[in-house]
Amino acid sequence: MTAAVESTFFRGIYQGRIVHTRFWLYMGFIVGASLLAFFGGSGYDEDAYIFRLLSMQGVIWGGVGALLGAAASMLLGDGRASAVTSSVPWFDGLILMLLLMGAFTLLEPHAALISYEDQSNLFSGRIVMAMNLLFIFSAVCYIMYLFAPDSFIGKMATMTAWGGVYAGGTSLLLRWYESYLLLDGDIGHAPVSNLYEVFILLFCVTGCIYLAFERRYQAKALGAFVMVIIAAGVFFGVWLDSIGQADIKPLVPALQSYWMKIHVPLNFVGYGAFAVACAAGMAWLVRSGLEQKGTSKLLKVFPTLDQLDQLAYKSVAVGFPAFTLATILGAAWAAEAWGGYWSWDPKETWALIVWMFYGAYLHVRISHGWSGKTLAWWAVVGFLVTLFCFVGVNMYLSGLHSYGKLA
Amino acid sequence: MSYYHKSIKPLFLRFASMPLAIVLLMVLALASMIGTVLLQNQGQADYLSQFGPVWYWVFRSLGLFDMYHSWWFIGLLGFLMVSLSFCLWHNIPRMLKEMRSRKITLADHAWKRMQHTHEWTVADTTVEQLQEKAQSVAEWKWLSEQQGGRTHLRGDKGRYHKWGYILVHSALLVILIGGWMSVQFGFRGNMAVPEGASESEISYVKGTGVEYLDMPFDVRCNSFEIDFFPNGMPKLFRSNLTIIDNGKEVLTSDIIVNEPLYYKGVRIYQASFGDGGSKIGLKLFHLDGSKRVDVVEGEIYKTYTDTKTGISMEFTDFKPYNVENMAEPGAPKQFRDIGPAVDFILRGPGLKPVKVRSFLNPFIVGDQNQGSLMMVSMSGDNRDFESFFLGPDLSDPKEWDLFHAFAGKLSGNSDTAEGAAVEAFKASVSEVYGDKAPKDFKDLGIRTLQGMNVLTSLPWPFIPVLEEYEQVYYTGLQLARDPGMNVVWLGSALLTFGLCIMLYVAHRKVWLVFETKGKGVYVRMAGMTNRNTMAFEQEFNLFLTELERDFSISRQGESV
Repeated sequence: MTAAVESTFFRGIYQGRIVHTRFWLYMGFIVGASLLAFFGGSGYDEDAYIFRLLSMQGVIWGGVGALLGAAASMLLGDGRASAVTSSVPWFDGLILMLLLMGAFTLLEPHAALISYEDQSNLFSGRIVMAMNLLFIFSAVCYIMYLFAPDSFIGKMATMTAWGGVYAGGTSLLLRWYESYLLLDGDIGHAPVSNLYEVFILLFCVTGCIYLAFERRYQAKALGAFVMVIIAAGVFFGVWLDSIGQADIKPLVPALQSYWMKIHVPLNFVGYGAFAVACAAGMAWLVRSGLEQKGTSKLLKVFPTLDQLDQLAYKSVAVGFPAFTLATILGAAWAAEAWGGYWSWDPKETWALIVWMFYGAYLHVRISHGWSGKTLAWWAVVGFLVTLFCFVGVNMYLSGLHSYGKLA
Repeated sequence: MSYYHKSIKPLFLRFASMPLAIVLLMVLALASMIGTVLLQNQGQADYLSQFGPVWYWVFRSLGLFDMYHSWWFIGLLGFLMVSLSFCLWHNIPRMLKEMRSRKITLADHAWKRMQHTHEWTVADTTVEQLQEKAQSVAEWKWLSEQQGGRTHLRGDKGRYHKWGYILVHSALLVILIGGWMSVQFGFRGNMAVPEGASESEISYVKGTGVEYLDMPFDVRCNSFEIDFFPNGMPKLFRSNLTIIDNGKEVLTSDIIVNEPLYYKGVRIYQASFGDGGSKIGLKLFHLDGSKRVDVVEGEIYKTYTDTKTGISMEFTDFKPYNVENMAEPGAPKQFRDIGPAVDFILRGPGLKPVKVRSFLNPFIVGDQNQGSLMMVSMSGDNRDFESFFLGPDLSDPKEWDLFHAFAGKLSGNSDTAEGAAVEAFKASVSEVYGDKAPKDFKDLGIRTLQGMNVLTSLPWPFIPVLEEYEQVYYTGLQLARDPGMNVVWLGSALLTFGLCIMLYVAHRKVWLVFETKGKGVYVRMAGMTNRNTMAFEQEFNLFLTELERDFSISRQGESV
């Protein structure tokens, strides 16, 4: 379906030798950049790393890595590994996002007009606004698509969803850059430090996971449910902004660690996947309700119950290992910052509760072969538990994760 | 399992069963919630006042105040370990056997249960040719068998996926064992070391009490410092520590949050900080009109008592920086440091005890000196501090003189007209300052008038104002030894690895049966997977078209 949209050029760059070389180029760059972090200059420096990466030093280390990667691709031959062809588009997307961010930095206000006290003139705010509109528009299109399965509305929905993902990702990257413009560059940090930023991250991750599924399994009706969840989140984000939670603030000492850049985004891969599972569960329940009522036009658009069931499982299968790894890495961070890998802090405990909830889901599904209504509800309730772990703990409970707190 | 007694076997199977595992997971999840709602390890008095005596004793006897270490919660975890062990014991041999056994031939009823089947006839070929073609697809691991005039082929992909289950469940057991080792053989506690002092004992909460443990070495804090961001938020807490082992200095190092120190199996973390007994000097400005100013010395955590008046000041805290938001509510924030301040509780005969924060510097906005500032909290809670502008800038002795001169002139003059006050003020200024009138004459007037209103209405016989200080911090360290940690990391690695195998590797099986029919070969193909049926459907169909193409090519090759 999507193949018809894409030109031969686009199909060309995702085939054979070209995609293969590019994959190893990216891998080489990542290895080069990591080696720079550990061995370049005087070792890893949290504050200066991003600048080092963008300086001549970064060009040399990353460039050499990329060249070696490209050379390795010649030796490794032209494999057909699906990991190569499926991961390269994501790297390409990331590059595009970086280029967009680079272009938007030109639109930032003059340095003299930027102040820590009033951050409303920073450009990332406007991109977030664009993201909000795109996601809401996309949600509307996906809902319209259910009732009028018109290919134009469907395309519009998908394209605005992608637009939202790109706007969100770009705004986060731009915030990262902007954090270095404030207070003489003293407070620069990755944009995953407060509730507002991680909400944008959550939209992007959820959107990405869903759009990958849509492309692979042609499950467009699911989009209505996913995008409604995202749109609800968008309104929460707007509210956060309105109470002044969108400002870039310095990092408290406990958060000044490279672990933050790993632990937080990985957690949100988990949360995002659980959100998609919840949407699939809701779609299952709606479809089964429609089927009981009798024939409905909507049934033609919806994936079958079996497909929805599988999509929910697939999302959990993406989210669960990511969430597990994120929790483990969180424990590793805690061992370095708090004096122990596990402190029964409310956030930790709720992460464990979420983990056990989805662990039980996988048990009944894989070993007991359950499916259908119970599991659909399980996926929906699971996301509510996840939401409490993510937002509720910050709002209602205190603990070591209190920097995620609402003021 | 023949070596078990008959009565043990059902119990064993019950422990190893799945429903029990699910129930255990859910019960543990629900139990864990309690501890997140009920704040853990608070003071017993707080709990008592919060819940009342009855519920306090109920909760206390259930161990809910330190729930995650209560006998029943540990018991639940132990139960999980037992269940996991039995599950592994029961299932590993079965799974290994299953992974080894690969049935090549399929009975007819088995064909019917297959998820995907297809049959077709390839003309002008032989069974051997097709078998060779099929087996040349190396992605599948092939086995073949001849039976009843038919050639059976079986291909497997992801045959070892059951290792996923084994790894995941063993990993959980390993993590739980690691956790048990941490609790059993490790420790974790806190110590507060004032700058310049050393300490060797840690304290930690156990159950409802506090316990102490001696470390095999002493920790001396050489210095503690805080860096601030320009907006006043702390940027860095850094302690310079020296480890003293058997009287010898063995190691000196800086620690910051996220970068602990490691010595003799003990990790030393930067956890908190506070005042370590700063020395302070206060001036007491007596309000009896005598102009008397006393200088007193004090120390944080100690109490100064004025013998004549019976007033005592219990010094509770000192801060060299006090960053406050100076903006009006709603306006963009403007953070500013208003300088050092000391907190103390002021008590005295006939006085309501209050908490006072006294600042060293006068409050200056722009060029405007608004005089000495003092904050008072009637409740004793830091959140209830209210600001009071005393009037004169008491750090300048001349203003104290001016205040008295003015007060004397006003009381001597019965004329209350405004002009008279101005005249009195001018006269006081020239009396105190001589001919050199101060530059901020107008502000000075406002300050002095403010002083007439505020200072005369204070209930205290004197005003204490911070005069000098010598700051000493204490650094709050957390010391921990965790022999189970590496075991936990091992378990975590196994868990992640196992999960990936379990969730992403599906065991896919295909069967091919060749049977000669006339000049051609009748081919039957079936496929089955245990997971990810959607992807397998695609894979099966792809493989099928590939085979059909290959087979027909081989036939064409033959005919040419």
